[in-house]
Amino acid sequence: MALSDSAERGLLTGIKAAEAAPRHDAHMSSHPVPVFDADLIARYDVVGPRYTSYPTAPEFDARFGEAEYRAAARASNEDPIPRRLSIYVHVPFCFSPCFYCGCARIITRDRSKAEAYLARLHREIELTAPMFDRDRQVVQLHFGGGTPNFLDGRQMAELVESMSRQFTFAHDSAREFGIELDPRSADARYVAMLAEHGFNRLSVGVQDFDADVQAAVNRIQSVEETRAVIDAAREHGFRSTSIDLIYGLPRQTPASFARTLEQVIAIRPDRIATYGYAHLPARFKAQRQIDAVELPDAAERLALLGLTIRTLTDAGYRYIGMDHFALPGDELSRAQEHGTLQRNFQGYSTHGSCDMIGLGMTSIGRIGDAYMQNAKDLVGYYAALDAGRLPVARGMILDEDDRIRADAIQRIMCDGVIEIAPFEARHQIDFADYFAHELNRLRTLAEDGLVVLSPTRIAATARGRLLLRIIAMCFDAYLSRPHEIAPGYSKAL
Amino acid sequence: MLHRSTRMKAIAAAPAPLHAVGAGREPAPHMPDDGDELHFCSTCAFGSVCMPRGVDKSALAELHCLVEHVGPYRSGETIFRAGERFGAIYAVRGGTVKTSVTDDDGREQVLGFHLPGEMIGLNAIHPAKYPCDAIALDTAYVCRFSFPALATLAQRIPEVQQQLFRLLSADIGKAALLAGDHSADERVAAFLVGLAERYAARGFSRTALRLSMPRADIANYLRLAAETVSRVLRRFQDQGLIAVDGRDVTLTDPAALHHLARNIIHR
Repeated sequence: MALSDSAERGLLTGIKAAEAAPRHDAHMSSHPVPVFDADLIARYDVVGPRYTSYPTAPEFDARFGEAEYRAAARASNEDPIPRRLSIYVHVPFCFSPCFYCGCARIITRDRSKAEAYLARLHREIELTAPMFDRDRQVVQLHFGGGTPNFLDGRQMAELVESMSRQFTFAHDSAREFGIELDPRSADARYVAMLAEHGFNRLSVGVQDFDADVQAAVNRIQSVEETRAVIDAAREHGFRSTSIDLIYGLPRQTPASFARTLEQVIAIRPDRIATYGYAHLPARFKAQRQIDAVELPDAAERLALLGLTIRTLTDAGYRYIGMDHFALPGDELSRAQEHGTLQRNFQGYSTHGSCDMIGLGMTSIGRIGDAYMQNAKDLVGYYAALDAGRLPVARGMILDEDDRIRADAIQRIMCDGVIEIAPFEARHQIDFADYFAHELNRLRTLAEDGLVVLSPTRIAATARGRLLLRIIAMCFDAYLSRPHEIAPGYSKAL
Repeated sequence: MLHRSTRMKAIAAAPAPLHAVGAGREPAPHMPDDGDELHFCSTCAFGSVCMPRGVDKSALAELHCLVEHVGPYRSGETIFRAGERFGAIYAVRGGTVKTSVTDDDGREQVLGFHLPGEMIGLNAIHPAKYPCDAIALDTAYVCRFSFPALATLAQRIPEVQQQLFRLLSADIGKAALLAGDHSADERVAAFLVGLAERYAARGFSRTALRLSMPRADIANYLRLAAETVSRVLRRFQDQGLIAVDGRDVTLTDPAALHHLARNIIHR
């Protein structure tokens, strides 16, 4: 839905690496309210990965194929307690194009296209499910897009029922089944149907409620229809609701965005994600419809970000990290307090220690130490499945160094802190020795007040919390240096 | 035991964190230090022959002469197969080896898991055929003792003979371990405690285990369903008896596990 949301999925997810016991130590103090330092943020406004995975998706290799996927799945069944499962399903279709969007999606009003896609999705489920032992419960299911509610009630029911027959779904109270919804093409009845099929989390794209902005991005959506699906979700027992916003859209002003924020706060979703719009018309065709002259400039973008952080934290939302805010009672906030927060393909998550299965075009999975991504277009996706093959197109197997760095980046992105002694124990390394170069890079950031380095821990400051990925980038062995900028990534904000 | 390979010597020279069985936390590696002309590897099954009093150097050298270092075997590779002619007994030097038999319908039955310092093939002396398969579960190294040569040596060196009898006796005793009517909890606890004790006896950690065997093999060995093994382990974890991270299992409450396993291990 949102632009950076796709970048999230495109650039992949976070890692869990050697995640042992939850870390209850010193966590409350690790999450100070972020301080918005405009000067500092402007200085560090460089492009970089979003670390929904490490290594990031551009590192995936086409030599990784079905055999490697199957081997990873086989090995994952052999642990004394095999990891539970998390499934992501990509529905690439949208009824109309939102101009800001950089997602892998196909614009059509022809619902029969969904039938052709669903036939392959069912086939993919049939090929995938038997690879995983039946006692491995699915505790997380997420539908993203595109527009998942492009599927009508019957199609959605068939899909979920097919999965529930071939996988073992966890009990209601132990599972997190979420879906991204476009309120322009869904109503309370649709939400009721979702509840009936076990969904208990709803994420709604809004981006901006201002009429001018909505016209400029080709997404006309009222507060009322948005509220209707969220109210319906609450009525049907959904445990968490979320709204996505985008700052940096054409015609946005601090005054107009302040009104949008107020309207969103009045709806009071449990979570709010505020992505920064990245204008990359050369890469995303839809964005060519946007008049660059109408985009806020760098100073205005900063003002919008500052306004967002101030307004949401004043309204009682906790800053989780990157683009994410949550009410204190929400599971994301609680996971962060307990040090069990994870970063993955869908952003932040409370279910980190799962093996993740990606179903559908472009979807990414992680099984043990292997990443895999499906074909990125319908032609490739259909061709593989029609030939009876899994549609995996690329992937990689993490080595020891990848795992160590992934853990460091995960800790920074989720906790804002690396506690050095437990980290050394987890990986059997001498931190100062292993990360000598990285510590040099961090010292520069420390001089600028982003991090505090001590012999026992590396901790983001209140200012640094808004620049977590700048800190995380210090540990990335794949970034080209010394320029420290990899082309093709969206900006750090 | 006697080192014949300089590569192995290099491992012995860096005793700190040996990652012989893949990535792991501190105590996971189950690779022994290497012996030399006059010393046994610390895990050697015959090490005790000379430990108490010291065997004279020529006897030690003779024993060493009939030892052949074999390996590495990669996970899944066979050290010997059922039906092959018996010619040697083996001691695991590093890694883990599974022994199993397969019936006419192709069903496998896991007989045991063999850790560094433990012998395999003792049950093949009569009728001179290996009665089971021996398969490496991870990167495994073994010592091969030519049995005719060992038998001859045992006639001359009483300590070698005594040690051989001890090993045979222990091997016979092991088989009865899981024969009784025990609950899944008892079996799993006994399995963990047993492994921990065996590792500890060879100088490895008493509380941190790396399970190189797939859960299907553990389940088969314990005569339980795979999901039962995992369910019991998860419950043990919830009760604070163990902490599981991938293949690494830490016994966080060994006393409680011992108590659970008491009817099996103290028979």
